[in-house]
Amino acid sequence: MEKIQNNYKVLVNERLCPQYWRLVFDAPSLALRTRPGQFVHIRTDEEGLQPFFRRPFSVYRARKYVEIFYQVVGPGTRLLSLKKKGDMVDVLGPLGTPFVLPPPDTRQVVMIAGGIGVAPMLILSDLLKNKKYDLLLLFGGRDRSHVYPMKEFKDNGVAVHIATDDGSVGAKGRVSVLFDKIGKNPGPSFVYTCGPDPMMKAVQSFAAGKGIPGQAACEEIMACGLGACLGCSIETTAGFRTVCHDGPCFDLDQVKFH
Amino acid sequence: MTDRALIWIKSNSIDMNIAVKIAGVTFKNPVTVASGTFGHAERYYNLEEVKRLGAIVPKTVTLHPQEGNPPVRIFETPSGMINAIGIENPGIDGFIAQKLPALKKTGVPLIISILGHDDEQFAAIMEKLNAQQGIAAVELNLSCPNLRQKILVAQDPAATTRLVARIKVLSKVPVIAKLSPNVTDIAAIAQAAEAGGADAVSLVNTFSAMAIDIKKRQSRIGNFTGGLSGPAIRPIALYMVQRVASRVKIPVIGMGGIMTAPDALEFLIAGASMVAVGTANFINPRAPIDILEGIESFMKENKISDIREIIGSLKNA
Repeated sequence: MEKIQNNYKVLVNERLCPQYWRLVFDAPSLALRTRPGQFVHIRTDEEGLQPFFRRPFSVYRARKYVEIFYQVVGPGTRLLSLKKKGDMVDVLGPLGTPFVLPPPDTRQVVMIAGGIGVAPMLILSDLLKNKKYDLLLLFGGRDRSHVYPMKEFKDNGVAVHIATDDGSVGAKGRVSVLFDKIGKNPGPSFVYTCGPDPMMKAVQSFAAGKGIPGQAACEEIMACGLGACLGCSIETTAGFRTVCHDGPCFDLDQVKFH
Repeated sequence: MTDRALIWIKSNSIDMNIAVKIAGVTFKNPVTVASGTFGHAERYYNLEEVKRLGAIVPKTVTLHPQEGNPPVRIFETPSGMINAIGIENPGIDGFIAQKLPALKKTGVPLIISILGHDDEQFAAIMEKLNAQQGIAAVELNLSCPNLRQKILVAQDPAATTRLVARIKVLSKVPVIAKLSPNVTDIAAIAQAAEAGGADAVSLVNTFSAMAIDIKKRQSRIGNFTGGLSGPAIRPIALYMVQRVASRVKIPVIGMGGIMTAPDALEFLIAGASMVAVGTANFINPRAPIDILEGIESFMKENKISDIREIIGSLKNA
């Protein structure tokens, strides 16, 4: 059995745009075992316990290396942003239930992401490219500082559409203004979404209206990451379910968003 | 065999006893896990390492299944956390059917933590557990602060004595009373448990606590309040363990923010016969094993051949 916790060497830790960072660490075996939608749980302060909890990050890409995509929002991510090439990171993973694949007859795969919620979509597109789906990414960011080139998506053949709240890049408004970019009659569609609850709630209601099935990658304050503490439970149609173990990926129609 | 291998065997063959005995049950070492902090062992933990634990205390089980408290259930605090999980569990029948078989397979002594919402429920759970083989002891959770009861059994010496006595008569295995720190004098409650016939006491459970979202002016916890754990409470827990150990004759299982072997050694020196690792499991899933190995190293370095030389060895008490 592979160890769940390991220390890995940082290869790259770079700022992609004012808001978002990309951390790459050398973890070939972890990369091999990681599936889209799974996450890694990183201890950002190994000595001082400040912050106390590990921090969960969706895996952004897992090829030879493991990449995470993050935003500096508090003390944990601030410490992470200080990691330099050659430093070590203490990682638990891969954790959580991955995305399910689209049903076999699917023609169009729509990824709808808000802000940092774009993280699990790249590894998903790595898996789904070259499978004859029409791949679509609808990305919503607050403003220009939340937008980066997204070249990796385009290289995977994903049609990328962007909306910002202030209209500084792409369409003006929430990501819902991009719903009309979804092909009308390409055949059966499947949607993946990750982002703030109100956004995913809008996606859920849109998808339900169109009869499109899908999956949502959810987030909640998390302690253990292993399904032990039951701290990160959210409400689903099947009762309380842990984001870390039962999720983070749930059927879109199963989650009760707030 | 190489010289190096021989040296290794010699250095490890020093006659060292780390086993502890509580109420006639021998635990091969004094390190266990605190209730509610250790789960899904089969999926994430190395079984060979789990087998090294002195005991396993699974999450508290109630008579009927409980779905737990609404989110948000946890909040991170300086060197600690507040939790209000609400004892989400499958109930005693579900526990026996779904969880117990895998726990038994580890071969590690099991201390089953139980909670009833009244004495009758405690008794009903106990009767079901009596029908099971392979249980080392039962721990009465007298102290869970998350269920909006007005007063906990653990806050009432008479109720503590009465409940412990009732379960003690029923139980086929030793009975441990788990105490709440949310009392004026925890030693008085420990003595009440002892008077009821408890074979040991374990302490401390979490401290009642809260955190407020200043923008929303709302509690950050779905259950409004929760229980604080982690290294933030360790010095207070240590104080309480020392105080209780000096006042009762029965063994004490100490816990409260233990993260490392030196932390655990403090509790042992203060008088705990065993230590439970709780919140540390959430940060470092290997914490109990790291702590066990650290205690062994400390004993080797200080040429201590028996853990009993450490337990209660506080010199200036």
